[in-house]
Amino acid sequence: MNTIKLKNIVPQVFAANPDLQSEVWRQDLTLEKGKNYLIEADSGMGKSTFCSYLIGYRNDFTGHLLFDGRNAAEFSQKDWTQLRQRQVSCLFQELRLFPELTAWENVQIKNRLTDFATDAQIDEWFNRLKISEKRHERVGVMSFGQQQRVALIRALAQPFDFLLADEPVSHLDDGNGELMGQLIAEEADRQGAAVIVTSIGKHIPLKYDKIIRL
Amino acid sequence: MKRNLVWKLLRQHISIPQLAGFFFANLIGMTIVLLGYQFYRDVVPLLTAEDGLLKTDFVVVSKKIGTFDGRSLVFTQAEQEELAEQGFVETIGAFTAAEFKVDASMRIGGRQAFNSELPIESVPDEFIDVPKADWTFDEGREVVPIILPRSYLAMYNFGFARSRSLPKVSEGLVSMIEFDLLLHGNGRQAHYKGRVIGFSNRLNAILVPESFMEMANRHFAPDAKPAPTRLIVQTGDLSEDNITQFLEERGYDAEDDKLNAEKTTFLLRLIISIVMVIGLIISLLSLYILMLSIYLLVQKNAEKLQNLRLIGYRSSQIARPYQLLTIALNAVVLVLSLVAVFVIRGYYMRIVDSLFPTVRNSTIWPAIVLGCLLFIVVTAVNLQVIRKKINFL
Repeated sequence: MNTIKLKNIVPQVFAANPDLQSEVWRQDLTLEKGKNYLIEADSGMGKSTFCSYLIGYRNDFTGHLLFDGRNAAEFSQKDWTQLRQRQVSCLFQELRLFPELTAWENVQIKNRLTDFATDAQIDEWFNRLKISEKRHERVGVMSFGQQQRVALIRALAQPFDFLLADEPVSHLDDGNGELMGQLIAEEADRQGAAVIVTSIGKHIPLKYDKIIRL
Repeated sequence: MKRNLVWKLLRQHISIPQLAGFFFANLIGMTIVLLGYQFYRDVVPLLTAEDGLLKTDFVVVSKKIGTFDGRSLVFTQAEQEELAEQGFVETIGAFTAAEFKVDASMRIGGRQAFNSELPIESVPDEFIDVPKADWTFDEGREVVPIILPRSYLAMYNFGFARSRSLPKVSEGLVSMIEFDLLLHGNGRQAHYKGRVIGFSNRLNAILVPESFMEMANRHFAPDAKPAPTRLIVQTGDLSEDNITQFLEERGYDAEDDKLNAEKTTFLLRLIISIVMVIGLIISLLSLYILMLSIYLLVQKNAEKLQNLRLIGYRSSQIARPYQLLTIALNAVVLVLSLVAVFVIRGYYMRIVDSLFPTVRNSTIWPAIVLGCLLFIVVTAVNLQVIRKKINFL
């Protein structure tokens, strides 16, 4: 997938607001594969809403969302599953990990679906993010910062053209944020993918091609 | 393993008591349904067994035997004509009794069984429903076809064969029975061979072909006049009220075995239907428990299910563990209920066998087929419901 186009999209909650100042809502915006985007916003402007539209979790908007020119309104469940498995990977703000599984199992439950990364590769990611000793611990007992890193590894365990990271470093110190940034940049590079990061201030250090004000 | 991880997630909140409740309730319901059906298939054919030897809709009419009224039991010509004119009568025929003596000696499988005088009778051939070739008297070969009442078979098997250590005879082995008939009267006698071609449930008479009877009566009792005491009447609709009324008014008796069998069958059918409906209701309620339990499970695991969808699992992959669980439960219930039916059937068939000592070819297949059908239908509905519920999330 090469482009994601938003044409005149407005979330229904903002529909009644004519003074909406945004570079995303009620605009034509094209996101291209291979570029890095930072979407900055104050809270309440719909960052997570934006992400949930791209992943097909919600569709309470007017306007058109086009993946490679194809209208998302026509997507079947199968199309969305395909998109989530192969084209758009998402690091959710609320992580959506399974607390009763270990960190390793949380990654594997995805990787066995996509059959994408080797165990050695996943091991290396754990090492690089400095949580390798937490691999076999249940996610439920880990700190949010540690969980964010597990969620990133899970997001990397699939092929993607766009990596969507919704406030990925909100609970990480700068050092760890940098490690995460490097890993994301490398993996996105390897796949020739775009990275779309949202932030309410603190953001992951990446070479952004475009900073968009939500 | 992938499924193991998904299963590890999705089995959270599974309620063992709920599933056990479903399991036992469904087991009981299913066993009742299958057993009722199996019993029905085992027993009803025995009650409704047609002779295959006689035309279907007929009654045998005789006069009531009173103690002191001294009435003749013979039907006069006028009485026969009056009966023939009734609306419910299609054809009418008289039983012709032998006016001579018949001594029979019976052999079973080559061994002498007994000698006895045999009261043979005949009815018009049109009432007998066997191929013409089987029901003709072949003068040259001197072989007479005979139809025996079925009660003779039971009498022989229970009262006779046992005490004389003779082989038991089943219906399929009629050819084992041989008769030597010695006819005498009018100063003459003659030997014939008797060949039993079948047993009748419904006529209490030892029947021979009409042609043989006419010939024999002419020959051995030329002076006797036919005096029928029993009439065979082919009727249209047996349930018509006016038959009973007419017979009542004239003081006639009708042998209505068939009517009795129909009543018994009807009652049996009714009882078994009620029992099966109860079983079905228990099963349906238990399935309702299962569906509620799975709904609850899906509801409690809703967030996990949704997260699995969002990381790229298809809803069919998510539904599968619950579907497999349902299939497994239903399959175990099916197998156990079939085992229960098999065991219980073993008990009642022993009783049935002693009551109906005939050749049996009934099997447990009816229960197996019905069980599999129910399993397929119920499981298909379950899978659909689970699929829908998960898609709905």
